[in-house]
Amino acid sequence: MRVTEGTMANSSLANLQRVRERIEQLYQEVSTGVRVSRPGDDPLSAQQILDLNGLLEDGKQFAKNISTGTTYLSAMESALSGMGDALVRVKELALGAANGTMGAEQRESVRGEVLQLKEQLITLGNSQINGRYVFSGFRNDVPPFDANGVYSGGDGDLRIPIDRTNTISVNYAGGKLLNGTGGGTDIIGTLDTLITALENDDIAGIQGTLSDLDDSAGQFLSARTDIGARMNRLETATGFIDDTKLYLQKVISSKQDVDFIQAVSDMTRQQTAFEAALAATSKISKISLLDYL
Amino acid sequence: MSLLGIFSIAQTGLVAQKVAIEVTSENIANVNTPGYSRQRTIMETAPTTTANGFPMGTGVRVAQVQRSYDDMLQRLLKNENSSYGEASVEQTAMIRIEQLFNDLTSSGLGKSIQDYFNAWEDLSVNSQGSAERQAVLSTGGLLADNFNRLNTYLTDLKTQADQSLQGLTSDVNDKLKTIATLNVQIQQTENMNGNANELRDQRDLLVRDLARKVGIEYREEDDKTLTLTLASGETLVSANLYGEFSLQDNGGKYDIHLKQAGSAAGSPVDLSGAKGEIAGTLQVRDTIVDSYLSRLDELAYNLANQVNSLHTAGYGTDGSTGNNFFTAPAGMAGYSGLIKVAVTDPAAIAAADTDPTLPAGGTGNNLNALKLAALKTAQVPSSYGDITLTSFYNTLVGGVGVGVQDAERSVSLSESVLKQLDNLRESQSGVSLDEELVNLIKYQKAFEGSAKLITTATEMLDTVLGLVR
Repeated sequence: MRVTEGTMANSSLANLQRVRERIEQLYQEVSTGVRVSRPGDDPLSAQQILDLNGLLEDGKQFAKNISTGTTYLSAMESALSGMGDALVRVKELALGAANGTMGAEQRESVRGEVLQLKEQLITLGNSQINGRYVFSGFRNDVPPFDANGVYSGGDGDLRIPIDRTNTISVNYAGGKLLNGTGGGTDIIGTLDTLITALENDDIAGIQGTLSDLDDSAGQFLSARTDIGARMNRLETATGFIDDTKLYLQKVISSKQDVDFIQAVSDMTRQQTAFEAALAATSKISKISLLDYL
Repeated sequence: MSLLGIFSIAQTGLVAQKVAIEVTSENIANVNTPGYSRQRTIMETAPTTTANGFPMGTGVRVAQVQRSYDDMLQRLLKNENSSYGEASVEQTAMIRIEQLFNDLTSSGLGKSIQDYFNAWEDLSVNSQGSAERQAVLSTGGLLADNFNRLNTYLTDLKTQADQSLQGLTSDVNDKLKTIATLNVQIQQTENMNGNANELRDQRDLLVRDLARKVGIEYREEDDKTLTLTLASGETLVSANLYGEFSLQDNGGKYDIHLKQAGSAAGSPVDLSGAKGEIAGTLQVRDTIVDSYLSRLDELAYNLANQVNSLHTAGYGTDGSTGNNFFTAPAGMAGYSGLIKVAVTDPAAIAAADTDPTLPAGGTGNNLNALKLAALKTAQVPSSYGDITLTSFYNTLVGGVGVGVQDAERSVSLSESVLKQLDNLRESQSGVSLDEELVNLIKYQKAFEGSAKLITTATEMLDTVLGLVR
């Protein structure tokens, strides 16, 4: 092939350009730490990275939901614990008052305390978190129990998403808990019966409430077990989200991040090639027949 | 053969070498001229005569000054220029589109889809929260804005492509006219046995430049003129006649019309398959951008319909129902530019599935918000199959990536072929200074030799004249 000044200039320019382009690309990768910075770099990986980033974002949102759910459940948990304590005290008092040796005056003071405890149950039944009543179903912007313990809340099941397919309920219907709606023990009613019996010195009546009080304790216990189980589920879900997050980050990194050792060694190699090309170009373009004529 | 014959032979030598040196100097001077083809002086012996029974030469003469030219290379270069022109225009557009859809480095539409459904999820956790309701409205607004923004940019890209046709066609018209003028000049020069090498170089260069703008075919006629046609047969240049492209506005975009060489009236011409920058521009305007725009429209349309059908079934805290969340799409085409949030009152956001104002309801009802939040992971039927809305978008981004890669690949392929062909042409037709310098010395020495002949002949003549005295 005939080689002219033009061919030499063109090819050395093209070669230098090619090496420079590769160096620039490697520089980009090393300085950003990212191998895929635009869809055209690697369309398939780009799409996967976006999908995976979406899953990661979903995880963050689920974690946020779970943390809200946990505060709801904890609020119910502590309310139930307070209710349980109150009920234990009521049971003690009822047992004492069912004893025939107790005088009418004493029963009167017991009645006073039971009234207080009933009020406490109602207050706890109106527990709220962030202004939302947790025992009120969907009507959670108004107190579910009035002063007499009459339930006006709903039975809506407030569920929140905890992963891509599951939701979990974060409330508990107060009517079911304290009024026995739907086939349970009417705890408030039992307390009212007890209070009336205490007022009337009706020992048989007082004794009659004892078994209902036992059932009431069972009712609280099953509610607490239910809520405890839900909290466990939330914990499991959190653990799963954390694991998934780690795994996703690893996969994304493997798809998107630069292998620094590889990139830097490539860059060094290209730099050497570039210097060699420069040196060769300057040597060759200096040679001319003019110098020898 | 007389002594005087030596003078005339020497003279032909001087003249021929001088011409050769002139050609060499032209070559050296044009070493960097684009499109220049090196020229060679072809010498031949002058007719012989017979003297004293022997054939004797009468010196040298310049047969022709020849241009190093390879028509096959010219044709290859022309074709590759057309492919390169088309590919490079398409690549420029794809790079712009890629920037718009690059969710890898910036938060684009994909993120706003996600944010919007996350806002619904937040609302499902606290369905009366005014902050959560406001967030659904504002992320919805942002989502609509992002759709509108992408739609505007893509539409702009089409408009820009359309407008660039003006510059392209006027450039092509200019070149056609110049080629026709050169046709005449070359014909006249060569008919008078002149040397039109430089004019031919110019014409060849123009043909190659023209081929970058629009794909063409050419043939050289017997009368030395070049006839240019489109691949589809329309005549662009014929001898001194040239055609003209014009643009006619047709419903907001240009139609290209061609008045063929020698014809009086123009008619529409389809250049979309003709290669070259014009074809690339038409592809960008009529096909490439639209393919992404229609996906964007589809996504906006599906998203709005899915959201609206759930939202109209739900109830706001104020008991309102049957409200569309996004403006109801009249059709899929162009919807990405029209989508807006239709709900203005945060209380009208339908998080509940029954009327919360009824005794059986309750504003805590989040069942509809849950359904809407679940849309994020719902498989929606689309042209990509049953796929979630975010996956649809991600697939679209992947598709853009593939488009960019294809465009880059064709450009770099074309570029390297062009480089090779250029090198071949340079090797065939380019000027080598070394070669010219050697030629220069060769011709100079020959010139000196001829001059020496004259001196010698003069001395010989003097000697003969001395005999007489």
